[in-house]
Amino acid sequence: MRSFTRRKSLAITATAMVASLALVGCSAADDSSDAAASTELVVGLLASPASLDYSTTGGAAIPQALLYNVYEGLVKIDNAGDIQPLLAESYTVSDDGLVYTFLLHEGVTFSNGSPFTAESVKFSLERVADNWTANGPSYLDPISSVDVVSDTEVTITLSAPSNSWLFNMAGPVGTMFSPDGIDDLATDPVGTGPYDVSEFTSGTSLELTERDDYWGEAPFMSDVTFNYYADATAQTNALLGGDIDLISALTAYQLIGQFESDDDFAVYEGTSTGETTMTLNNQSDAFSDVRVRQAVMYAVDRQAVLDTVNSGYGSLIGSMVPPTDPWFDDSLVDLYPYDPAKAEALLAEAGVSDLTVSMKLPNLPYAVDAGQVVKDQLSQVGITADVTTLEFPAVWLDEVFTNHDYDISIIAHTEPRDISAFAAPTYYAGYDNPEVMALFAEADASDEATFVELMKEASATMAEEAAADWLFLNPNVTAADADLTGVPLNAPTLSFDLTTIAR
Amino acid sequence: MTTTTPAPAAPRLRKNAIPSGKRRNGNLVVGIILIGLVVFAAVLSAFWTPFDPEGVFPGELLLPPGAEHLLGTDNFGRDVLSSILRGAQISLIVGIVAVGIAAILGVPFGIVAGMNPGRLDQFMMRGNDILLAFPALLLAIIFGAVFGANTTTAMVALGIGSAPSFASIARSGTQQVMSREYVQASKASGKNGWFVGVKHVLPNISGILIVQASVSFGIAVLAEAALSYLGLGTTPPTPSWGRMLQDAQGYLYVQPLLVVWPGIAIAIAVLGFNLLGDGLRDRLDPRMQVKR
Repeated sequence: MRSFTRRKSLAITATAMVASLALVGCSAADDSSDAAASTELVVGLLASPASLDYSTTGGAAIPQALLYNVYEGLVKIDNAGDIQPLLAESYTVSDDGLVYTFLLHEGVTFSNGSPFTAESVKFSLERVADNWTANGPSYLDPISSVDVVSDTEVTITLSAPSNSWLFNMAGPVGTMFSPDGIDDLATDPVGTGPYDVSEFTSGTSLELTERDDYWGEAPFMSDVTFNYYADATAQTNALLGGDIDLISALTAYQLIGQFESDDDFAVYEGTSTGETTMTLNNQSDAFSDVRVRQAVMYAVDRQAVLDTVNSGYGSLIGSMVPPTDPWFDDSLVDLYPYDPAKAEALLAEAGVSDLTVSMKLPNLPYAVDAGQVVKDQLSQVGITADVTTLEFPAVWLDEVFTNHDYDISIIAHTEPRDISAFAAPTYYAGYDNPEVMALFAEADASDEATFVELMKEASATMAEEAAADWLFLNPNVTAADADLTGVPLNAPTLSFDLTTIAR
Repeated sequence: MTTTTPAPAAPRLRKNAIPSGKRRNGNLVVGIILIGLVVFAAVLSAFWTPFDPEGVFPGELLLPPGAEHLLGTDNFGRDVLSSILRGAQISLIVGIVAVGIAAILGVPFGIVAGMNPGRLDQFMMRGNDILLAFPALLLAIIFGAVFGANTTTAMVALGIGSAPSFASIARSGTQQVMSREYVQASKASGKNGWFVGVKHVLPNISGILIVQASVSFGIAVLAEAALSYLGLGTTPPTPSWGRMLQDAQGYLYVQPLLVVWPGIAIAIAVLGFNLLGDGLRDRLDPRMQVKR
């Protein structure tokens, strides 16, 4: 037994050595022997959905695969971030901004054969209040009534004007469900989209097949497979090896050069809505003083964080607003230049010395990497950060997100237009400024121009009060076989929209 | 009912199967040299490393090996040589604590079982077998999830996980010692179990325990590297060879040498402790002397 154990451990060591050497030795196999104009597409993604029901399971993985591909709403967000009609042929808004009239496409069917009518709209929207347990049911709160005018016309009346409502209707909560197709959403989604789920193996793959009775223009790709990989290296190796055709939301930024220098691949760098955020617990003893939070802002060299964590890919934003939102204010980017001396002065002014804070990081590579850079920078102004890594999602959600038991944490906030949710006093940042909440409420009910102005004011206030340190905005990098066209450049929503991709 | 006891390896026949005090023992010498290297690195890095192994140097990312940075720098701009040196500390600490815990828990347990043949022995050893079936690494992963992943939980879990093998070894050694004349004599003269256990059994099984400790040390070093590789071991930025391997994996195409250095370090440490265990077995294991 002993000698067996010993030999085994030796063997493991030897194998590890050989494996690492073998990996070093092998070069990129660029063998993309796809048949010409194949209508099959294999996409490599990282996080696998746990179920297929985004009305009860949170996270970005399900809408990434299903929204606009399997499920559709009345409207969608196009790749430039603008609202476009989808199941609605057209829509009109009353002058007071309260009544929306949608004219629906005719002849639309769900994948189970049932027709899509105005009744389906009423059913789907009214269903959200009681049955939607994942993120976002409150997005539909402005609705006061849904009235069926005819099979193809529906009016939705709001209790107060809302600028964000229609945008949110283009997301998961605005999805149209069939009353007789909701029994088994976790494994058998029924939507009006161009694809139907043909096979789903959690953690491994999800296969979509083109529907032959789709109401709109048929997509080019007839069969799409999402392959899920445990880490970014395996994902990029799969693309290099020809197992997959496209990587969406590529995070192995250091390998982008690999694809750029190879004519068989094309790299697309667009913007996402993923703000990698260093959240400071505004309610904690350490950070309840705004001067201490501002000191942290001055102490952190965000460009260095971006260079180290993302190999320089991405952009500095200075607030929780990506440049694709109309109220992005680029003057906030330089609000807190890297200035350790000023950080020390602010700490002294706040009467803080030898500050020790807990830094609780989800065990995600980018968060742990960013945490190490920030820890080093904070130590230079006399702030000691005790780093612990927490298993993500369960332990991190429990300890940091739910129980607020932390001083600093780092995570990417990927949802579009999530700044008002972040400002809520009950949110895990604990940022509590009633004036900012009032600004958001007022903005939502204002006309377009005032809306943008007020949103700017609110985001600037949050940045000035250092509600959090928005380290950088992730790029949306897509690496794909060079012969693919119509690859979505940006990721303005959670969806990975397959409908434009062709070969 | 000794079939389930992990029997010690049968002595292997060699050209010179008779060990003598003066015979050169290659395994032992190489093992001691390799471990000496690791210990030297750990001690040296406590006082001096070429660069700060925990800092971040944005201007010096991923430099190839050169005059200033002998082994290059990693994705944080850290000097790899400094990280390797400092990483030896964690490996040694984890090994010492894990083996210490395993020995403190396992050895008394095994001796008590070995000294009390019959129901108590059977009961204790069947329980031990259940624990033995549970891999230390799995236990460490569970501990990491429940109590938070850090070096302490890893050490404790690995220690608890390797205790059953110490218990098995201690018990089988104890059984052999208990049949010796001096133990019979000691018992006959009215000495109690404590006296026999501490004065006769423990000193006479210390040889095989030291061998086991050495082998377990190697396993613990490897396990810590595995846990850190999985993100469940040493918390960053404290350097750990396993996490260096994990970090380097993403840069395989950019700076492939980054994978090699921690791999070599882990190999040296594990090989060293295994060779030391082998060499010590030749010297210390009483079963080797039976052949004499």
